[in-house]
Amino acid sequence: MRFFIWTVLVIVVIVRFFATLPKFSDGQRVRISDKITTQPIRYSYNQSFKLSGLGVYLPKYPEVSYGDDVIVEGTVMSGKILDAKLIEIIKGKSPLLGFRQKLIKFYEFSLPQPYSGLVAGVVLGSKTGLSEGFWELLKTTSTAHVVVASGMNVTLVAGFLMGLTCLFLPRRKAVVFVILGVWIYAFLSGFDAPIIRAAVMGSVAFIAQATGRISTAWKGLLLSALIMLIIWPGWILDLGFILSFVATASILIFEPKVKKILTNFPKILREDLSVTLAAQIGVTPIIFATFGQFNLLSPVINVLILWTVAPITIIGGISAFVGLAFPAVGRLLLYLCYPLAFWFVKVIEIFS
Amino acid sequence: MKIGAWKYVFAALILGVTAILLGISSSPDKNLHLIACDVGQGDGTLITYESTQILIDGGPDSKILECLGKHMGYLDRKIEVVILTHPQLDHYGGLIEVVRRYEIENFVANALDSSADAYRELKREISDRGIKVINPTESTAIRYGSLYIDILHPSQSFLLQNSDFAQTTTNANVLGSFTSKVDPNEFSIVAILSFGEFEALFTGDLTPDVIPEVIAGGELKDVDFIKVPHHGSKNGLTKELLNATTPEAAVISVGKNNRFGHPHEQVLTLLKDAGVEILRTDEQGDVEIVTDGKDWWSNP
Repeated sequence: MRFFIWTVLVIVVIVRFFATLPKFSDGQRVRISDKITTQPIRYSYNQSFKLSGLGVYLPKYPEVSYGDDVIVEGTVMSGKILDAKLIEIIKGKSPLLGFRQKLIKFYEFSLPQPYSGLVAGVVLGSKTGLSEGFWELLKTTSTAHVVVASGMNVTLVAGFLMGLTCLFLPRRKAVVFVILGVWIYAFLSGFDAPIIRAAVMGSVAFIAQATGRISTAWKGLLLSALIMLIIWPGWILDLGFILSFVATASILIFEPKVKKILTNFPKILREDLSVTLAAQIGVTPIIFATFGQFNLLSPVINVLILWTVAPITIIGGISAFVGLAFPAVGRLLLYLCYPLAFWFVKVIEIFS
Repeated sequence: MKIGAWKYVFAALILGVTAILLGISSSPDKNLHLIACDVGQGDGTLITYESTQILIDGGPDSKILECLGKHMGYLDRKIEVVILTHPQLDHYGGLIEVVRRYEIENFVANALDSSADAYRELKREISDRGIKVINPTESTAIRYGSLYIDILHPSQSFLLQNSDFAQTTTNANVLGSFTSKVDPNEFSIVAILSFGEFEALFTGDLTPDVIPEVIAGGELKDVDFIKVPHHGSKNGLTKELLNATTPEAAVISVGKNNRFGHPHEQVLTLLKDAGVEILRTDEQGDVEIVTDGKDWWSNP
């Protein structure tokens, strides 16, 4: 029976993949009206985003944002729209996205760059706020994954909400709120692949736990991967998706062993280091094969900065919430993040 | 309280103390710092003295924010004066983000309009925030404590001659109230910054056509420092301007391998022949000049 369910899921993934292959042919003139479902990336003079699966480059102004409805005209060429022209832009009205924007603005108004971008990135996965120079440094030190909100943030948010709701509710009921909270967070942080993966996987694990079924992380991982590929078949070719899947699988396989080898390390470092090293065992060959480069010091850098992510996320999150109601108080709280962000930036600068 | 809770209070305390210490260590000294920010192909100069900041142009994009972050204390979120020399993207592009993120007391710019989408965005951000706009003329002087800024150009008569609208709209203290067929570079705000005995000349993208008029204004004088007009383009610095100002150091704000071929060999020769020290943002990154009001030196 179980085997049957898994087989059906795999078949659905395959069918979905072929059924949703792009319908556009090269050279075709198109006029696409669609919602922007991921965060646009901003460059000096341009902004780029995906629309109906096609890459679009537009002049930097007027700015479009995650959640906006846009109409774009142009010519399709190998997965991109060439000479794209913005015909119309209807600003997204979702209150949640407006809220996200307010939180990011709070960071931008309270801290200088690159710290504001770092905090907005760590807390909300906002890539648009990172300064270009700092983004380059993150890439050369193989630490970009920390700043574009990752599965780790989802775990943090889930843990935080679990602790909070369990004060008022029995665990089984709390789970409903935790799952809801995790999905609101996934939405707030821009619905990027690693966040969704973690949210799906976390939900599967929580539901299994609440219904009393013994869930193994492996089943959760596979099931979440299959569900995501049914919803977003194109992800099967997405490097970010592949990397996050392999990294998680690699942690499941190697982490306990790596931890054993590192018994002599202080406890505070052992946790981060064993997770990082375990993930890299699987990820490194792929990165090397794709980019032909890899920062050998990456595990060291990761250990030096990873411990700051949890406090930055929690302090940053709380201070922004407070800051919306009482800006001055929120700002004071946010300053508690500054030493951590300062350390993070200095480490990156030294190692790059 | 349980031990667990005390742990968090203690951690917060340590962070708080560290934040305060970092704030103190990044607090300004008693000198004036003039930083020609490395903004790529464009202009962006930060002048900072104690808690007062003056920003002249903002480069083409948000790269200017890194320079502000580096050279202003992290608690200082206010820029007292922003001067936009003229509405071209390589001078105002970065100001859009600056206006969004910092509290701006005065925005000094010509009323000359630009039809670019980015300029529309800048105007919208400034009016949404109710930032005070000043349209300067040759008689405008700005003073902040011991910092003085005197505007030399554009003059009232230049504005009248070259704008498409009547006199009342050229300095109504709004942005974008008139258009002109004349090259926007010619409208570049030219200003002298004085701090004690130190004097610096800012020239935007001033062109050779207008330089005689600026000299004829009679306000030009010997300065210690000049920001070379127009990123070292041939269509910028002239021998006349150099003779009228006799600077000791000149900064050229220019992008690496830019497509315009700036700075031009002719301009470099002109400066070398006059024995002027040349500082370039494409070679040195941010260029920093420090002065105590008597002597000045450049920080590597």
